[in-house]
Amino acid sequence: MLFTLGAFVSLAVLSFLGIDALPGDGCTALLGRFGTPAKVAECREEHQLTDPVIVRLGNWANDVVHGDLGYSIKRDEQVAQIVLPRIRNTAMLAVVAALMAFPSAIVAGLLIGRYPQSRIGRAINTLGVVAMTLPEFVIATILWLVFSIWIPIFPGVTVVPSNATVVELLPHIWMPALTLAAVVFAHSMRTMKAGVTTIQLMPFVESARLRGTKERVTLLRHILPAALPPVVNTIAVDAAWLLTGTFVTEAVFNYRGLGRLAIDAISDRDTAVILPIVLFGLGVYLTMSLIADMVVRLLDPRLKQHRS
Amino acid sequence: MNKRIVYCVLGFHAIVALLAPLLPLAATDEQDPGATLQGFSSAHWLGTDALGRDILSRALHGGRPSLVIALLATALSAVIGVALGSLAALAGGWIDEALARLIDFLLAVPTLILLLLIASFFGHDPFVLSVTLGLMYAAPIARVARGSTQVLLARDFVRVARLQGGRGVNLLIGEVLPNVWRVVLTEIAMQFTWIILAFSSLSFLGLGASPPTPEWGLMIAEARSYMTINPLSVITPIVMLGSLVLAVQALVDRE
Repeated sequence: MLFTLGAFVSLAVLSFLGIDALPGDGCTALLGRFGTPAKVAECREEHQLTDPVIVRLGNWANDVVHGDLGYSIKRDEQVAQIVLPRIRNTAMLAVVAALMAFPSAIVAGLLIGRYPQSRIGRAINTLGVVAMTLPEFVIATILWLVFSIWIPIFPGVTVVPSNATVVELLPHIWMPALTLAAVVFAHSMRTMKAGVTTIQLMPFVESARLRGTKERVTLLRHILPAALPPVVNTIAVDAAWLLTGTFVTEAVFNYRGLGRLAIDAISDRDTAVILPIVLFGLGVYLTMSLIADMVVRLLDPRLKQHRS
Repeated sequence: MNKRIVYCVLGFHAIVALLAPLLPLAATDEQDPGATLQGFSSAHWLGTDALGRDILSRALHGGRPSLVIALLATALSAVIGVALGSLAALAGGWIDEALARLIDFLLAVPTLILLLLIASFFGHDPFVLSVTLGLMYAAPIARVARGSTQVLLARDFVRVARLQGGRGVNLLIGEVLPNVWRVVLTEIAMQFTWIILAFSSLSFLGLGASPPTPEWGLMIAEARSYMTINPLSVITPIVMLGSLVLAVQALVDRE
């Protein structure tokens, strides 16, 4: 816990310094190519950008601790007001994609591991690996071609504003969510399958079978719990990616989440907005690995004993 | 996938990437305003895009930018990764501990956002992008190299070499590295596909190859608006990119 916090703080400071070292700041972003040196200097004076790095780092850290994420000179808006609705949208997208991908991946992995000869299982496995290997924009384009043009079920491009209500957003979430789910599905499915393949040869499974335990019970009570812990780690990594790595998918579907904002902010060179997005990403990664450790400890009784 | 098919696909991509400029193809930037978004025809076998450019020619040239960057970056990450990982394992003690932390730290860096930042602030220079990608992707290779070096250092043949007077870097080059390569090669092949994907994603977002360069990601991005009129303009680069990446992946899975 303490280690995670320490890692977060040091990475946050590094990100601040790294982004600060990039050529350009809020004022050059605002004034663009019309910014004469005099105007830029005036703007910097006004927004206290002339202070030395260490002073600005201190001010910024103080503000963040007091809940103030800063101010975007380029967008003339509080950063929190820009970023928070986008975090909500991305979180909704991540939840829908996670619900599509993870439960089905666990079931598929369990069944494909148990019945490796099955034709349907093999087909699902191949499809999953293909989806995992192709880049998101290719999957998104293929899904778009199929589900928005050839069989028009879903709208292809999102046209709702970033602060739309949940109900307004919902019809536009399926296509990007399906894309993201297709990308992550095979990771946990393959981890699950690999686990089941080795575990079902272990003595405790054999002894359950020899006792005359029904196949269904063996699968659900003996094999599933033993195969789950490694899958939790895979899911944690993928869940973190769903919250922070969705740049391309959001850009393809014009979905107004954090990834889309990141691309916009980077092409505007709006460093005030880039920084909290980077921090959010770091925070999500560290939190997810912490949660994964805790869940694995709950699922695996051996680790609990080991600790006490 | 059948092994023979995989080799055929890889061979096709290698030949096309090397020989594309020599093939009797239309110029990639030759526009034909009278024939935009055409389907199959004898003049343009796979049709034309929105500017009337030959899709076949552009698709066959379109792998070259990503392949050059991927080869450069993979070579760089392989050299740095293997050197860092195996030296850490050989040195042991606090040096190993410090290098292992450094590798963990590099693994935590969010790849795509860093790439976007670099591409946006330092321009589309392929050399800068290759070096950045090479440095970023060195960490996973270093981790694998460190792990397998540690295992090898405990093996009998390395201990015998040590007793015969093998020391330090000579021991590493003579005994350990020839065996590490075999394990690390799989990781390197996977990096190769990831780098191709990363670069084509960058191009797709408008921060990699710049128009009018023929590049698969960029071609897909440009053609998406005209997908309903001429699906060929999107499907052709998808098939090219997809077949290359899937073939490398199938090769890795088999090893």
